[in-house]
Amino acid sequence: MDLLANLATTFAAQIQSPALAFLLGGMLVAAMGSRLEIPDAIYKFVVFMLLMRIGLEAGMEIKEAELASILLPVLAAALIGCAIVLVGRVTLPLLPGVKMEDGIATAGLFGAVSASTLAAALVVLEAEGVAFEAWVPALYPFMDIPALILAIVLAGVHRQRSENGDRGETGYREIIADSLRGSAISALLLGIVLGLLTHPESVFDSFYDPLFRGLLSILMLVLGIEAWSRLSELSGVAHWYAIYALVAPLLHGLLAFGLGYLLHVATGFSPGGVILLAVIAASNSDISGPPTLRAGIPGANPSAYIGASTAIGTPIAIGVGIPLYLTLAQLVFGI
Amino acid sequence: MTYRAKKVSIVTEKLNEREIERIVESAGATGYTVFEGSGKGSHGVKSRRQLVNAFRLVKIEVIVRDRETAEAIAEQVADTYFGDYAGIVYIDDVEVLRREKF
Repeated sequence: MDLLANLATTFAAQIQSPALAFLLGGMLVAAMGSRLEIPDAIYKFVVFMLLMRIGLEAGMEIKEAELASILLPVLAAALIGCAIVLVGRVTLPLLPGVKMEDGIATAGLFGAVSASTLAAALVVLEAEGVAFEAWVPALYPFMDIPALILAIVLAGVHRQRSENGDRGETGYREIIADSLRGSAISALLLGIVLGLLTHPESVFDSFYDPLFRGLLSILMLVLGIEAWSRLSELSGVAHWYAIYALVAPLLHGLLAFGLGYLLHVATGFSPGGVILLAVIAASNSDISGPPTLRAGIPGANPSAYIGASTAIGTPIAIGVGIPLYLTLAQLVFGI
Repeated sequence: MTYRAKKVSIVTEKLNEREIERIVESAGATGYTVFEGSGKGSHGVKSRRQLVNAFRLVKIEVIVRDRETAEAIAEQVADTYFGDYAGIVYIDDVEVLRREKF
C-alpha cells in the first residue's frame, strides 16, 4: 500500500509540474479547437537549445568521468533499445489487425528516444534534487540509433522473405549517417564535442542553462497540441496500436530500471542515472525517428506508428513514466 | 516568340525531394522548381502544421523540351516512389520563351 500511496503523492505533485501541465494544456487547447500555434522555427530552435544544453553539460562532465564507468551504461542503453524492438517485433504482429511492417516500425519508434521526454525528466530530477551523472543524457544516441537500425533491418529481412523483394536495400552505414545528421542528434553531439574540447561554461551558465526550463514548457505545449491532433490518425488503424502505446512505454521503462539497478549494484551507477535510463527507454522518438523509419521501411503505414507514438506514447512516458520511475527509485534507493 | 515544351509536375512527400531531384537532373533537365505545401489524398491529410517536416508535401516542377524526357522522368518517379509514398505526377503542355534555357 505504501507504493500506491507514494505513487499517488508523486503523481499529484507531478501533474502540477510545468512539464506535464504545459503538455496537458496543449492537449486541452487543441481539443477546444483553438488556433493557437507555435511557429515552426521556434519549435526547432527550442529543440536545438535543449539538446545543446544537455550536450554541453554532458561534454563538460565526460572530461572528468572515468571512461570505464560510462562503458557499461552505454552497452545497457544499446541493449535496451534492441530488446524493445525485438519484443515489439515478436508481440505486435500477433495482435489482430497489425501488419508485420507496421508493427516493426512501431516497435522501432518506441525503441528510439525522445529528446523532449528526456529534457522533461532532467527538469523533474533537478526540482526533486536527485543527483545523476551529467553524462547520462548522452546515452540517448546509443539507444536511439541501434533501435532504428534494428527495426529497419528486421523489416528488410521480412520484405525480402515475403516477396521477391530486392527493395529496401538500405545499408547500415547509410542509416547511421542519416541518424547522426538528424537535427536532434547533431545538436547533442555538437554540444558534447564543444563541452569536451572547449570551455563553454560562461555561455552555459548565463544562457543555455537558465533558459532550459522555460523553453521546455514551450516544447511541451507544442507536443500537447501535436498529440491531440494526431489522435484522429489512430482511428484509421487497429486499436491495438493505442493499447501498445499505453502499456509498452511503462514496461520498457521498468525493464531499463531493472537493468539500471543491476548497474547500480555492480558499478555504483547513481539512482538518478537509473531513473533517466528508464525514462529514455520509456520514451519514443517524435522528431527524428519518423522520417528515418519512413525512408527505411517505406511499406509501413506512418499513421500507425506516428499516431501511436506522438498521440499516446509520449504523453504516457512523460505523464505516467517519469513519476512512476521517480517513485520507484525513492522506494528502492531510499532517496 | 514562344516554343512548345512539356512541364512535369511531381507532388509527393518532402522526404523524397532530394532523390527525385537527382532523377530529374540525370534525365537531362536543366533545372526545376520546388514548392512546399499541404493537401489531402488517398494517404490522408498532409498538413503544413505537422511537426515532422519530412511528411509535408512538395511539388517539383520541371520543364523539358520533349515528350520523351518528360515521360521518362514521370515514369521513373512513379515506379520508384508511388508504391509506398503519397504522390501524383502529371504532364502539361506549356509554351516557353528562351528555348535555349531548356
